[in-house]
Parts: sequence; C-alpha cells; structure tokens
Amino acid sequence: MRAGTGSAVRRARTGWRFMAPALTVVVAVTIFPIVYSIYMSFNRIQLTLHGFHFQWVGLSNYRLLMASGLYRYAMEFTIVYAVITVLAELILGTLAALILQRLRRGRSGLLALLLLPWSLITVISAEMWGYIYNGVYGVLDAILLSLHIIRTPVVWLGFPQLAIASTMFADVWKTMPFVAILVLAGLEMIPVEVIEASYMDGAGSWQIFWRVQLPLIRSTMSLAVLFRILQAFGLFDLPFVLTGGGPGTATESIAVLGYQVMFQDLSFGPGAAVAASTTALVLIMAMVFLWVFRGMAEEGMA
Amino acid sequence: MTKGKATVVTIMATGGIGVLSVVSAGCGLFGSGPAAQRRATAVKKPGAHRPPGGGKRVTIDWAASPITQTGTRRTMIRAFEASHPNLRVKLITMSTNTDTTRTTLSTEIEGGSATPDVYMGDVIWPAQFAHSGLAVNLSKYLPHGFWSRFAPGLVTGASYRGRVYAAPFFMDAGFLYYRKDLLKKAGLPVPRTWQQLASDAKTLQAKHLVRYGYVWEGAAYEGLTCDLMEFLADSGAKVLNSAGTKVVLNSPRAISAVTFMRSLITRGISPAAVSTYQEPDAMNTFDAGDAAFMRNWDYAWSNSQTPGTKVVGKVGVEPMPAFASAKQPGYSCIGGWDLYVNPHTRHLQQALTFIRWMTSAPAQRILAKKYSEVPTNYAVQKESSVRKKNPVLRIVARVRLVSRPSSTPLYPQLSQALYQNVNAALTGQIAPTTAITRASREISADLAGRGL
Repeated sequence: MRAGTGSAVRRARTGWRFMAPALTVVVAVTIFPIVYSIYMSFNRIQLTLHGFHFQWVGLSNYRLLMASGLYRYAMEFTIVYAVITVLAELILGTLAALILQRLRRGRSGLLALLLLPWSLITVISAEMWGYIYNGVYGVLDAILLSLHIIRTPVVWLGFPQLAIASTMFADVWKTMPFVAILVLAGLEMIPVEVIEASYMDGAGSWQIFWRVQLPLIRSTMSLAVLFRILQAFGLFDLPFVLTGGGPGTATESIAVLGYQVMFQDLSFGPGAAVAASTTALVLIMAMVFLWVFRGMAEEGMA
Repeated sequence: MTKGKATVVTIMATGGIGVLSVVSAGCGLFGSGPAAQRRATAVKKPGAHRPPGGGKRVTIDWAASPITQTGTRRTMIRAFEASHPNLRVKLITMSTNTDTTRTTLSTEIEGGSATPDVYMGDVIWPAQFAHSGLAVNLSKYLPHGFWSRFAPGLVTGASYRGRVYAAPFFMDAGFLYYRKDLLKKAGLPVPRTWQQLASDAKTLQAKHLVRYGYVWEGAAYEGLTCDLMEFLADSGAKVLNSAGTKVVLNSPRAISAVTFMRSLITRGISPAAVSTYQEPDAMNTFDAGDAAFMRNWDYAWSNSQTPGTKVVGKVGVEPMPAFASAKQPGYSCIGGWDLYVNPHTRHLQQALTFIRWMTSAPAQRILAKKYSEVPTNYAVQKESSVRKKNPVLRIVARVRLVSRPSSTPLYPQLSQALYQNVNAALTGQIAPTTAITRASREISADLAGRGL
C-alpha cells in the first residue's frame, strides 16, 4: 500500500518534470501576460524613464469604459458584427461544403480556388477590397454603373450602414472557405452506408441533410463556430486597413479601439481594461454560441 | 536668423561648448580619411571628458521611416559617415504608417531598449513622448544657440513645457495644387479665397473641363485633423486656449468652417468619396486629371511630375486660400519629421553629433536640393539655389503655418475626437453643429482625464 502510494507520487513527480518545459512556456507566454494585463487594468500607469509606474486605482478604468460612448458602441458593433458574419459564414460555408461533397470531378481544383481568399493575408485582401469599394475608381461602382443598376457612383465606405455591410461582406468572403473546409471534413467522415440507408428508408435530400448529416457534423460545426467567434472578436486588420474605423466611428471594433487607446494614446490602464473586458466577453460569447448551437442541433436530431 | 547660425558655427569652431563638439569639431578640423581618424583618436585620448567609446569607431542605430524618394536616408547617412570617420550609422527602417511606427518605438523604448539611438518621429509626438519618458530633453545637452538654426515656430512645436525634445529634421505643410491648363482655358486666376476656389471649381465642372473641383483628405484619420485645422484657423476658430488647458472649439466660427467643408461635398465640388480619402487617394484623383484643385503635402509635387502622369507640366502650387481675400494666404498645417534621442541610448554624444549634422546646412541642402524635402534649417530654406529647385520650395517661405494642438500629451485623443466627429459630419450622419459640440465635449472629457 505504502509502496504503491510512493510510486504514484514518484510517477506524478516524473509527470510534472516532463510537463515542466511546456508549462513554463505556457505560463510565460500566455498566463503571465493575461494576469499582467488584468493587473494593469486596475492601475493608473505612467510611463517613465524607468519603465511603468503603477498606481492602484481599483475599478476606475472600467468606470471610464462604461461611461464612454465610444466603448459601448465598439462593444455593440463587435457583437453584432460577430453574430452576423459567423452566421452568414456558417450557412454559406455549409452550402459550399455540400456542393463540394457532391462534385465528382474538379473538386480539388475548386477547393484550392475556394481557399485562396482564406490564404491571403487580411491586410492585402483589405487593400484589394479598398480598391473594389473605392468611391471614384472602384471596380464595384464601375460594374454596377455599366449594368445601369446605379446611376451615380456609390461611396461604399462613406456611410455607416453601407460601410459596415461592405466590411462584413469582405469578411465573409475571406473566412467562409475556412468554415466550408471544416464542414466538408465533417461530411466526409459520415459513412456512406448511413446516407444510403436513409435513401432506402425513403428520406428526401432535405430530410437527409437536416436529420442525418447535420446532427452528425454538429461537433465539427461547433468547432468551426468557436474558432470563428474567437477570431471575429479580434476583428482588427480589416477595418484598420479598409476604413480606419470610419466613417466617424461606425466600423470601430473593440480591438481597433483597444489599439487606439493603448498604442496611439499610450493610455495603458484603460487600454488594458479594454483588452481584459474583451477577453471576458469572448469567453461568454463563445459559451453562449456553443450552447445555443448545440441546443439547435439536438432539436434537429430529435 | 542667419546671424544666429553663424554664432553656432563660431562656438563650435572655437570649441566653446566643450565635450559636445569634440567629435564633430575634431573631424571637421582634421578632414576625413583613415589618417585623419588616427589623429583624431590621438587627440581625443588624453581628454578626461572623452565621450564613451569616443576613440573607437561607434555605430549608432537610426530608426526612420522611408522618406518620399528612395535613397534619401542612405545618401544622408553616407554623407554623414564621410565627414565623421569615427561614426557609423545603421539604418533601421520603420513603417510608412506613423501610428505603426509610434507603436514600435514606444514599445521598444518603454521596454528599456538601448536601440535605436536616434529615431525619426512625427512632429506631433513631442508632448506625448516627453510626458511618457520616450525622448531625451535635448535642450539639456544642446546649447541655446543651436536652436536658432530652425525656421520660426518649429522649435516651439518640438517643445513640451519649455524644454525641447526633438530636432526638426524636415518639414511639410498643406499646399494648394491646381491645374494651370484648366484655369487658363477658363480664363480664371489662381483662387485666393475658399469662395473663389469653390466658384472656380463649379465653373470648370460646368464647362466639363474636369470631373471634380477639389480633392482633399476627409477620411477618419489624422490627416483630416490637418485639413480641419486649416479651415478652423482660416475662419478664426481654435481648438484649445493658448495655455492648452481648456477647449474653446465650440464657436460659430468653428461650425461655419465644418459647414463649409461639408458644403464642398453637397455642392458636388468634392466627390462624396472625399470622406474616405487619405493623401494617396487625393493624389490619385488629381494625377489622373480628374480634379482641378487638391490640398496635399510637399511630396505631392514630385508625384505629379512623375513621367506618365496625366498632369505633368500642368500643375501649379500656391499657399492655401483663406476665407477673406484680406487674410490670404490661408493657413497651412505643419507636418513633417523630427529627430529624437532614445533616453536609454548608450551613445548620447554620438547621437547628438548625428542630430547636429542632420540639421546643419550641408545636410539640409542635400535634403532639399537632391530630394525636394522642405528643410527645417531656415538659412537653407531661404537659399536661392534651394528655392529654385521646385515650386513648393519657392513658396514655402510665404506659407502661413498653423500647428495642431499637439502641445498636450493627450493630443492623440483630441485628434481622434476631432476627426471622428468631423468625418461623421462630412458623410452627413450628423450636422456640423453636432460634430463641433460632440468633439468639444469629448475633448474636455479627455483633458479632465475622463475620456477614453
């Protein structure tokens, strides 16, 4: 008995020893910065010649955020943006995956083509969308004008709703393939026999998708959604390049605001508070999304 | 001013300022080449106040964003090294985006990094960087006389609470670019007032000579603050009181300035897209021959002269218009770049030597004559050979300057409040009155430490 406990302890100790290098890295690059920035968010920070000078101010940085119209708007914008784009990507991505799955020939070619937007660096694709949306020489205006759909050039990034919609469109264009690939992988994992059996039982295509395929790819889809929500909340490069947060502050995401406060204003306390509150929000949103989505998928299965 | 500069030279030559001039005076006296270097070393060795590493070859790191024309920085470095055999300069290229550069520099320096030793930074940084301990108080090390070499107003712009934190390197300002050929065709003179510019633009557009009248920078970014400052100054409005402690923006004059900016769009003089325009967008439209007038910086001149551009030989440049002809020229916002020293540098003396040289007449002449940058050295700015270089340099002395309210470390917040609200007014989301009211409210919250 005693010998057994001793060996368990020994084994645990060896385990920790093996884990130590990885743990050190995790603590150094993940845990420490998070804890440090949470600590920062409770302080007034003055940069001096000798580095940061901290002064504990409790919740005052958070009170500053709550009182700020900019912060509230950025929060709302980011949440609405994340919900709409992730939903759109999920629906379009799933459709694309279903089509790809049915293709007999040219699938890999199409797949590569589909992945092109995803593989582009956002800063570059954002610049490209900038040219497309340009209100004077824009490709989009040129096409719509020649088709007589519009009579005068539209300044796509010049009006709040339009700018938000244009940004969302560029985002969906870029990230939909990611969802499509994940969903396709999920679909491919479903044994052919299952689908064949459903046909034999007289199920239509719609029923097969809704009652057989969808419940079976549920976990893959939740994974895709989770990844996308985390990314959508970090929305930075697209509005940063495309609109600079404008017009006014219409496309100022929480990350763009955080950047502004932290690195333009060098206002580190409030900046850290923006970051910390974003982290909290992302965690909550990710959990809510997963919970709602699982519920929906289970309902479909029943 | 020239007299002031002469004094500096005299002091340097007589070695009156001691330690600081050892390196530069030494090299200046003995000329260049390895032999000179050996002798210079020998001379300096016994000195008790020998700068750290003064006898050896020292390399300093200079962080700088690319300057308009390629090769500018490297040419300057080569010229500096040629006259300073003991010093080598390593160029660290920064982003062309001011904010990215600020992020990089502030992160590095606040982390205690000893490099870069010298960095090129925006003219709107001194207060913020001084306040945050990111820049050396240069007035502590460089004599009073040194600062007289700069064009009026520039040193004040580089100061925070009476101390100078940066040496003006090259300057820029807003200029009115216009199409000589179009004005000639329509028999119009160059507009001196905004009203005249608007009506000329309308005339040219009505005659189908050009698509747009006037292009400028209206996107939600720092550039809009510059354009706005010009309109505000022209209409007699200010953002802060002279002490920089109180907002005085909310006034009928400020509202009329923003109303005029908006009217340029509603009257079809400026494209609606101007509310998304940064400098390159305005330049593209103008260089494609689609605009009669443009507000842009010095570098827009060389761009419009690039062979293959549709407007080569058709472009003229003048100081900005004003709201009343009696008040012309109108105001031009000061832009440009300064040289700062990293407080953690291990080569302070060498960094100062570098700054002295970069702002000296020979260096500034290279900048102006070879690369068409506007020199900050006042004597060079006025030299006739420099003024002949291009039309921008010819008129720069006539330009009436206005600075952004960057004397407070909170300037970035102030500027955001200005450009975000005014941009919203330009797109018609909010009325000019609302934009000014909101900007004022946000700025006063910022000043009180209640802003985000």
